[in-house]
Amino acid sequence: MAAGAVGVGVVELPPARTSAGRQLYTIVKKDVISELRTKEMLLSMFLFAVLAMVVFHFAFTVRADTDLTYFTGGMLWVTFIFGALLGLNRSFVHEKDEGCLDGLLLCPVDRVTIFLAKMTGNLIFLLVIQALAVPIFTLFFVKTSYAADLPAFLAVLLLADVGVCAVGTLLATIAMNTKARDLLLPIVFLPLIIPVLIAATSATTGIFAQTASLGSLGAKLGFLAAYDVIFVLAAYGTYDFAIGE
Amino acid sequence: MAEVDVAHAEIEVEGLNKTFGRRDVLRDVSFGVERGGFLSIMGPNGAGKTTTLRVLATLLTPTSGGVRIAGLDPLDDPMPVRRVIGLISHSPLLYLDLTAYENLRFYADMYGVPERERRIGELLERVELSHRRYDQVRTFSKGMLQRLAIARALLHRPRVLLLDEPYSGLDPHAVDILDGLLAEIRAEHTFVMVSHSIPKTLQLSTQVVIMDAGRIVYRQAGRVDEGDFVAVYREHVNEGVAL
Repeated sequence: MAAGAVGVGVVELPPARTSAGRQLYTIVKKDVISELRTKEMLLSMFLFAVLAMVVFHFAFTVRADTDLTYFTGGMLWVTFIFGALLGLNRSFVHEKDEGCLDGLLLCPVDRVTIFLAKMTGNLIFLLVIQALAVPIFTLFFVKTSYAADLPAFLAVLLLADVGVCAVGTLLATIAMNTKARDLLLPIVFLPLIIPVLIAATSATTGIFAQTASLGSLGAKLGFLAAYDVIFVLAAYGTYDFAIGE
Repeated sequence: MAEVDVAHAEIEVEGLNKTFGRRDVLRDVSFGVERGGFLSIMGPNGAGKTTTLRVLATLLTPTSGGVRIAGLDPLDDPMPVRRVIGLISHSPLLYLDLTAYENLRFYADMYGVPERERRIGELLERVELSHRRYDQVRTFSKGMLQRLAIARALLHRPRVLLLDEPYSGLDPHAVDILDGLLAEIRAEHTFVMVSHSIPKTLQLSTQVVIMDAGRIVYRQAGRVDEGDFVAVYREHVNEGVAL
């Protein structure tokens, strides 16, 4: 029977005073406020990123004139993927505390809105880490200026991040209800993210080494965009089951 | 079947079954609660009480069977049902890193509560937490958390309240506040409560059912004498009971 229908014992619902957009904003705002209070995700992700860069620097700079330009894409994305994994593992911790996930699921909110909100939150945190880590990385490892290719680099970052967060949020949701969630997430996430890792690494190295042609860069961006669309749609179709029981 | 006029039933549950893997958690559970009624579900741990409540709360989908709440079918479209139900659980369902006000504002925005600020102020006043509105919930005692959880559950003015062991862990002051609130809203709400406390159950309920091993093994409408009920409980459920 339709909501708001009048009949025996049927409730007359007041008009909804909220929308999916407002609910999405409300969940993201709640996650950002919580994170700013605890700084659990941001701090662990940032410390990992800095530590990885320090290790890479001392591991690969065997001589003062060692040129690491052709390794930069790999170093950068290995750092970001594992850093993101740390954040994704914690992205549902607050929801599991004190049964908050039940509170969220009791709200009249579409499950896809919850997915998009959690994904947006994870994306914001990853972008914050990247905004802090990329300048440090550039200082350590990039010898040439890539100012002219900055828009392309930002496009690679954004498209790869959306893919990482879409897959990561979906899998973190599934892993949250399992006993071995800390183990399950990396085991499933890392193989699924390999296509993004390859495309983003290759595009980033091309930008830093100034070897990327417009065509090859465009193809990689197109691939990343297609990956994003596929996994956001996959999450759209499966999230109700993923977050359900 | 319960002695309820189905034409005026606020909650109707018919032939509910729920299976987790190979385990039958609910077996042919049926009951009805009239508008303004108060149904309590009792039974030993693992009897299926909380599973029944979670199905009513749209948090679980039954394997088979039907549910109607306020004439709406949560299995067909749970969204409108979520707007008419509130849940008070033994877990407060509150974010510990947010303040009391931020928690209520979050839920108010999720439900689209009209006149949000006035409603939040009024509920914080009622549960005697106005003075702690800007404190993080992490610093609250169990009793204060539960009082705030009551405010959260009532925020969107639900007409059906689901109570999952709401008195669990409450101090006497919080029990008084919950009793007072339930008495205030009793007339215009319908309740389903899961509880282990026989005195509380008999004090509040218009109907009591006892579940065991996923089945309803006893049902009683109207007032019941506590002594008689304890005997009935022991007869149907061969386990101890909190008195």
